[in-house]
Amino acid sequence: MRRSGPLMYLAHAAVWLYVLLLLVPVYYLLVSAFKDNVGILSAPFSPFTGLELGNFAKAMEHATLGPALLNQGYVTVAANLLTLALAVPAAFALARARGRIGVLVERVFALGFLVPGFAALVPTVMLSIMLGLFHTREFLIVFLPASAMPLSVILLTQAMRAIPRDLEESAVLDGAGSWHLLRSVYFPLSIPTLTVVLILNFLSFWNEYFFALVITGPDTAVRTAQVALPTLSLANASQYGVLAAGIVITLVPVYVLYVFFADKMERAVLAGALKG
Amino acid sequence: MSTRRWRDLAPLGFTLPALGWFLVFTVGPLVSLFYFALTDWRGLIAPRTFVGLGNFTRLAGDPVFHHAVRNSLVQLVVTLPVVIAGAFMIAYYLSLKPRGHRFIRAVLFTPVLLSAPALAMVFVGVFAPSGLVNGLLKGIGLDAAVRPWLAAESTASIAILAVIVWSSMSVSAVMLAARLNNVPAELFEAAGLDGCGHWRRMWTIAWPICRDYVGVVTMLQFLWTLFSSAAVVLLLTRGGPGTSTVNLSFLVYDYAFNQSKVGYSQAIAVMLFVVGVLGLLGIRRLFRQNY
Repeated sequence: MRRSGPLMYLAHAAVWLYVLLLLVPVYYLLVSAFKDNVGILSAPFSPFTGLELGNFAKAMEHATLGPALLNQGYVTVAANLLTLALAVPAAFALARARGRIGVLVERVFALGFLVPGFAALVPTVMLSIMLGLFHTREFLIVFLPASAMPLSVILLTQAMRAIPRDLEESAVLDGAGSWHLLRSVYFPLSIPTLTVVLILNFLSFWNEYFFALVITGPDTAVRTAQVALPTLSLANASQYGVLAAGIVITLVPVYVLYVFFADKMERAVLAGALKG
Repeated sequence: MSTRRWRDLAPLGFTLPALGWFLVFTVGPLVSLFYFALTDWRGLIAPRTFVGLGNFTRLAGDPVFHHAVRNSLVQLVVTLPVVIAGAFMIAYYLSLKPRGHRFIRAVLFTPVLLSAPALAMVFVGVFAPSGLVNGLLKGIGLDAAVRPWLAAESTASIAILAVIVWSSMSVSAVMLAARLNNVPAELFEAAGLDGCGHWRRMWTIAWPICRDYVGVVTMLQFLWTLFSSAAVVLLLTRGGPGTSTVNLSFLVYDYAFNQSKVGYSQAIAVMLFVVGVLGLLGIRRLFRQNY
């Protein structure tokens, strides 16, 4: 950077202070996860008070995190597959559609992106009761794709629209029908965007809290990891180490994904829905 | 129907499953919300009786609701300007590619990956009586400032605000930085040659260029503060101490699932939905590109 006035020094200082503010709680979380209570209280910031792995075992046991993680994985993967199964054909049709009705349908999805679904917490529970799926993971699996549908469809439609028409025309000349066209031209060519959508939905489904809380309820056999995690705070009020270990455990899948797909993940975040 | 018209429409059949899903699981519940708000209804499996606008008139005399309105307003008024202005300045700073900007970007990305429970649980540790903040204060000899942050009325709402800002400013900054990266560098260089400093370049050139995108980021932040903060409140303070940290979205959950006021809670949900939609429209108007 070029010449810097006093303002620039202030900017450096302010941004690095903010970076520090972001890192300190994360650092505190990580070191606490490996400490016993005495270590947390007597030397809160030291990374060297022995390596206490018991916290992780306790967290798994007290919050029955084992089944909870499996439930979370089951819901996340199944909901993700269902979202794709619904969104890919829709995007395919919208990308190729001409005329007003196609535009209208696309606008419905574009508006849906900003619908605050949280307001419908209770009606959604009523729907699950009506369908006989209250307190089941399966309701989450069919419900979550609806919330992800608008953005998934919009992103995939944009990607498929960018596919050159020539490719399609040569396939049509060879006698390909719609399904064949989708399978052999549109699907393979939109895989980069498909990956972004998959990651985006993985993050939002894995991290889903409120709907999981009211739908799956307190039953340890069906509740997800995000619902199980806060119970550690109540059960171990005086043991931050156990809670910290629990948090770390639920974060592992997300960070593993981040390590492998950092740039795709950033694109997913920029696509915009993660805050909702 | 003419064959040509049919040929244009038939492929749209592929959109029907997605559209149907969206209608059944998103639009349907939202519509029935407006009916539920007009009922007296004590529990999820209890019978409902239609009471018209009774729930809404009851809201007018409910001090907890008033408290929630005030808290939600304060949360919006404080976090929106702080987060958007802060994020924009960080984004501009990053666009100058200062030393360590890659590292900063990676750190800014950290809070994105935290789920609401993970975020709240991290801050349970931060604000606990023997937690991070008090540990730091003791470490620098400010024992007098040590306090139970979440259990005291004066500090609990400030703690909630801090968590909202902490978790969302960085994401907004990453998004805005990506937008600024697409601005041609010559624009800024020309301004630099004219002797225009960074402060003026940031607000008179970069801001107007990104105006519409800043609007989108503001909308997302608005939704986050209004709705997603419910999880932070629920998991950090449960609205307490007393009712000092209740906000509208938390109250919808609390009344419906903990206090057996389901119909009444839906009146609040309707208000929340309306505030949400009006707010989004307002923000869009405010940031409409006007050149």
